[in-house]
Amino acid sequence: MVEEVRDKARELLSAGTVECVIGYERATDGITARPLFAYSPEEADRFILDRTCVHNLARYLLDRKGKPTAVVVKPCDSRTINLLVHENQIERDKVFAIGVTCPGVVEAHWGETTEGLQSRCGSCPLEVPVVYDHLITVPGERQPRTGFPELEKLEAMSPQERLEFWQQQFQRCIRCYACRQVCPGCYCPICFVDQLDPMWVGIKIAPPENQVWHLIRAFHLAGRCIECGECQRVCPVNIPLMLLNQKLTAEVEGMFDFRPGLDAETLPPFATFRKEELEAER
Amino acid sequence: MSRFLSLDGLLAWLDGLLKEGTVVVAPTLVEGVSLYQPVPAAAEIDLDGGATVLSPKEWLFPQSHTLFTVERRDGAAELKEGTFDGRAVLFGLHPCDALGVHLMDVPFLAEPADASYRERRERTALVGLSCTRCRPECFCTSMGTAPDDPAHLDVMLTPVEGGYAVAAASEKGEALLASAVLEEKAVPLPEPPVPDRLPTEDLPRVFRALFGHAYWGRVADRCIHCNICSYVCPTCYCFDVRDYSRGNTAERVQSWESCQAPGFARIAGGYEPRPSKAAKMRQRFAHKFLYFPEAFDGPLSCTGCGRCVRSCPVNIDIREIIGDLQRIGVSSVGSGEKQD
Amino acid sequence: MDMNGGPRIVGFLCNWCSYAGADMAGTSRMSYPPNIRIIRVPCSGRVDPLLVVKSFQQGADGVLVAGCHPGDCHYTEGNYYARRRFALLRPLLDFVGIEQERLRLEWVSASEGRKFSRAVASFQEELERLGPRGHRG
Repeated sequence: MVEEVRDKARELLSAGTVECVIGYERATDGITARPLFAYSPEEADRFILDRTCVHNLARYLLDRKGKPTAVVVKPCDSRTINLLVHENQIERDKVFAIGVTCPGVVEAHWGETTEGLQSRCGSCPLEVPVVYDHLITVPGERQPRTGFPELEKLEAMSPQERLEFWQQQFQRCIRCYACRQVCPGCYCPICFVDQLDPMWVGIKIAPPENQVWHLIRAFHLAGRCIECGECQRVCPVNIPLMLLNQKLTAEVEGMFDFRPGLDAETLPPFATFRKEELEAER
Repeated sequence: MSRFLSLDGLLAWLDGLLKEGTVVVAPTLVEGVSLYQPVPAAAEIDLDGGATVLSPKEWLFPQSHTLFTVERRDGAAELKEGTFDGRAVLFGLHPCDALGVHLMDVPFLAEPADASYRERRERTALVGLSCTRCRPECFCTSMGTAPDDPAHLDVMLTPVEGGYAVAAASEKGEALLASAVLEEKAVPLPEPPVPDRLPTEDLPRVFRALFGHAYWGRVADRCIHCNICSYVCPTCYCFDVRDYSRGNTAERVQSWESCQAPGFARIAGGYEPRPSKAAKMRQRFAHKFLYFPEAFDGPLSCTGCGRCVRSCPVNIDIREIIGDLQRIGVSSVGSGEKQD
Repeated sequence: MDMNGGPRIVGFLCNWCSYAGADMAGTSRMSYPPNIRIIRVPCSGRVDPLLVVKSFQQGADGVLVAGCHPGDCHYTEGNYYARRRFALLRPLLDFVGIEQERLRLEWVSASEGRKFSRAVASFQEELERLGPRGHRG
C-alpha cells in the first residue's frame, strides 16, 4: 500500500493538482518516521507508510493556508481537517486528503519504537478516515475500543492523591510548548501565555505556573481535541498530557453527546446551548 | 593513571560530601526521565544511564530563577539578591557536557561576567564520567572532544571493573578527592568507543555561503518551532528577564528562551526580522556554526551530545544538516533560490 | 487563609443581576462572610476559566461565579455559555486535585440579596469543611 501512496502523490504533483504532498519518510535513526514535504514526483519515491507513522501531518495545513496541498491522514488526523474547516482556518477545496485506514500506531521516539500500540489507539472510535479524497486501505486488524483505562486509575484516587500526582508531573514541565506547537487546535496568533498585558502566566517556570498553562490549554481544547496524541508524544519529559484531554473528551461526550472532528458542520458544545439542560452548581 | 575508587567508595565519598552540606547534582531518574537534579543520597544517582534529557547547564544557568527581590518596608526598599552561597558538585558529566560547560563559560564569564552564573560556576566542582559506549546520536569527536576527554573537568572518573579509575584534573579536583578512599592500583583503562565523524571542516565559511539557500526552507517545512532543541542543548543560552510585582514586593525573574519561539525576535512596532519558518529554524544553526565562532573567535557552539537529535519531534537532525551543507557545498552558491 | 482566618473566596459577579443582588444584601444589612473578594464583570459569560484557574493559583480556596438566572441574562445568552463552561471546568479541576466543590456557580437576581448572603455563607462552610488547599498552584 505504500506504492499506492507514492503513485497518488506522483499523480497529484505531475498534474499540478497540488503544490506539495505531505507524507512520511524514514527518519535518520532508520527506525522511526518523520514528515516529508514532497514538491516533485521524484521526491514522492521516499514516502513510507507503516505503524511508525505517528505524526499528525494535517497540522501542517495551518502553515500552508491557501496553497493546494495533499496530506496523508490516518483516521485521527482526518478529524483535524473537519475541525480546521469548521473553524475557518483552512479551505476544504485547497486540501487533497489521502486517507489511510489504520490498525493503530506504535510509540515511536527517535531511536526506539514499542511492540505494542499507543494506548490512545484503544480509544479510537474510527477505522476509516472521516474525510478523504482518496482512500487507501491498510491491512491489519484494529484493537477494539476500550475506553480510557488510564482515566479510571486516576479517578479512583482521592483529590489529595491526584493533586500530588499532577504536582509531580508539572514539576518536570520545561514550558517548551512543543505540546502547543504540534497541536492542530492551537493556532492563536498570540497564545495567552505569551500575552504581556495582562501577563497571565509570565516566564517563571515552576509547578504553579505550569499547572495554569496545562489546565487552560486543555480547556481551550475541550470539545475540540481530536485525540491525535501528538502533545503527549512530543513532550520531552514524558508528561501524560493525554490524560487531561481524555478527561475532557469523556466529559464532553457524556454531557453533550459530541466528539469533535467527525464532521465539519456540527456546532461544538461551547458555541451553542440548550435552554433547559444541566445545572452546573452543587 | 593509577588511582582506583570502588563503587562503594564512590557512593561513600558522595554521601560524605552531601553530609557536609555540598549540593550534589547528578543524573537521576525522575518518573523514568533522566535529568540532572540535586540528589538527596548517592544511591539516587543513575550511574549507568545514557544522556540525560536536559543538559547539566540547568544547574549553572537555571531554567527559571529569581535574580533579586525588592521589598518595600517602612518607606525603605530592601534588595535581596538570589544567591547561591553553598558548594556544589556537578557529577557524572560526560565529556560532551564538560565541553558544554566550557562553551557556556565563554559568553557568561567574558567581562562583564554574568554575576549569577559566575557565582554558581565558581562554587561548583565538575566531576566527569568517561563514556563506555556511544549512543547512535553521539558525534562528540566531530566537535573537538572525545568519550574519554578529561578537559574542562576537575575530576575524571573512568568506569573499570568494580569501580572507577580516578584522575584529578585540577587543584579543585585534588582537594575534592581528599575525602575519597582511593586505592593505588594499576587499572587497565578500557578502549573508548568511537562515535561517527561528521564533516565539520570550514563549517562557518560554508554556512555563510549557503545562508540564503533554499535548503533551509525545505528542512523548516517540518519544524514546529517549539523550544525543545534549545532547551535540551548544553550550549544554547538565550534568556528573558521580566519583573513581577505584587503589593510591596517585586522580583526580577530570568528564564530560558528559544530563538524558535514565536515572537522571539519581534521588536517594537511588531516588525519581525525573522518572519519565515526557514529564517527562524536556520537561526539556531547559524548561531552555533557561524555567529558564535565568529564572535568568540573559535569553537563551534556544539558538543556533539546529540540531545537535539533524540528529542526533536520531527527529526531535524543537526548531523544531517552538517552533512547536507557540505554536500551542497560552496560551489553551488547562487544555484539555490534566495530566501527572505 | 484569609487574614481573618477564614477561607479565601474570589467572587465574579455579573453587573446586572448578581452584583446588584450582593449590593442589595449590603444595603439591607444582611450579613455575609467578609472573606469574599468581589470582582464585577459585565456578564457571567465573560468569566474565562483562566480567571478561575488563576485565582486558585494565586491562593484562592474557593471561587464563586454568579450570574443572572437562565433566561434573564442581560445579554440574552451569556449565562447559558457560562453554565456549560463551568459544568466542564469543575470536573477538570477535580481531576487535578482541586475539589469540584471549590468552584460554585450561582444564579442570583438583583432582588435576591438574601440568596446571595446565604450562598456565600454556605460556600464558606463548605470550604471550611474541605480545609485549605493542599498546595498552592
